[in-house]
Amino acid sequence: MDDTKDLKLQIKEMIVATLNLTDVNPADILDDQPLFSGENVITLDSIDGIELIMAIQREFNVRLDDQNLARNILNTVDTMAEFITSNQAS
Amino acid sequence: MSGTQLPFEHKMSAHCETGTLSSQLAFHGMELSEALIFGIGCGIFFGYFNNKRFAFPTFIVRSKPGQIRKNLTKRLGIKFETETFKTPQQAQEKLDALLAKGIPPATQVDFFFMDYLPQYLRVHINVHFINVVGKSEGGDYLISDCYYPKIVELAKESLQKGRFAGGSMAPEGFLFYPTFIPKEFDFEKAVRKGIKKACFNMLKIPIPFLGIKGMRKFANHITEWTKLAIDAEDLSHQVSKINILLEDQGTGGAGFRFMYATFLKQAAEILKQPELVDFSKRMMDNGDKWREISLMAARMGRNRDLSVEKLREVGALIHERANVEERFFKELAKVVK
Repeated sequence: MDDTKDLKLQIKEMIVATLNLTDVNPADILDDQPLFSGENVITLDSIDGIELIMAIQREFNVRLDDQNLARNILNTVDTMAEFITSNQAS
Repeated sequence: MSGTQLPFEHKMSAHCETGTLSSQLAFHGMELSEALIFGIGCGIFFGYFNNKRFAFPTFIVRSKPGQIRKNLTKRLGIKFETETFKTPQQAQEKLDALLAKGIPPATQVDFFFMDYLPQYLRVHINVHFINVVGKSEGGDYLISDCYYPKIVELAKESLQKGRFAGGSMAPEGFLFYPTFIPKEFDFEKAVRKGIKKACFNMLKIPIPFLGIKGMRKFANHITEWTKLAIDAEDLSHQVSKINILLEDQGTGGAGFRFMYATFLKQAAEILKQPELVDFSKRMMDNGDKWREISLMAARMGRNRDLSVEKLREVGALIHERANVEERFFKELAKVVK
């Protein structure tokens, strides 16, 4: 498994653990489908969004401090992975 | 009619007033970051309101709309033309005349009528600011809204409704644009004054519901909310609003505390005072704690977990923030003289 795939799985596991989605298998969450609009295996709301912002900060040591950007970054697993990768590197 | 779009650089930003100001200044050749505008304009604040003017207690985390622009005029000498209108027709005529002259003004609107945004985001807020940067071939308007990723078309009827929405802080077609930008600035002085005024506002305004005193009033009073709410549904809505006021509505997250932290980091360079970087980090950490309060309130609202004990817990966390911010601004005032 390459690093990006590994990171995406980590993100999915984080989502499931943070939001306590006991009936969801992390591997089933689709990388490129929106998480907030009912097009993925889970549908999140704005409170879940804040939980995820805090979880990303805690687990990946990356701060997401702009709510407008947050809407785009939390859109899919792909966008979260991209954000984490670029900010951990900088 | 042929469409026109002025060469306006669209930028996304965290907060509509500072973002619009930043874009307006950039159009006229002056680059000033959103965070610097917020800091120099002394945007950071707190107030808790529990009086007859409000149906239910509420709080603010920033200075009143328009004050940041006024403070920029005061501290940097930038002058703005501002105007309100008695009728929608007058407002539209002035807007069209400005666009014809190549001036893309900012205007105040009710956020609800900005129908290019998803419906779930659109609530009635009368103090949203957008830039009007041109007209389409059909006579509708081209809008640069810092909450939207690109310049977008808005029906002239929607813009008109937004500019003339009724209610508290009605826009009355208000528009503004810079008319004079000095060639040279004393940024150091402006930043210093912005910080000193923020410290004064947070610590020394002799009104018991503003600044740190307002935070403590909020912390003490929140348990009373159970008696003031009409029913459990209303209380749930009001508690959830803590989250909305802190995290949404263009605060940049954590009730503008992250934006102020960014300002302090930039101020450290301008003032050549590296110790302000540490203040910036402390304000970031403070923002994280406000975000925890925000999340707690959101969970309580969602789960209808609204006992007095639970509200007392929120109050205790707000007390902690008051203590931390009191210490913070006292120390900041000593460092920036």
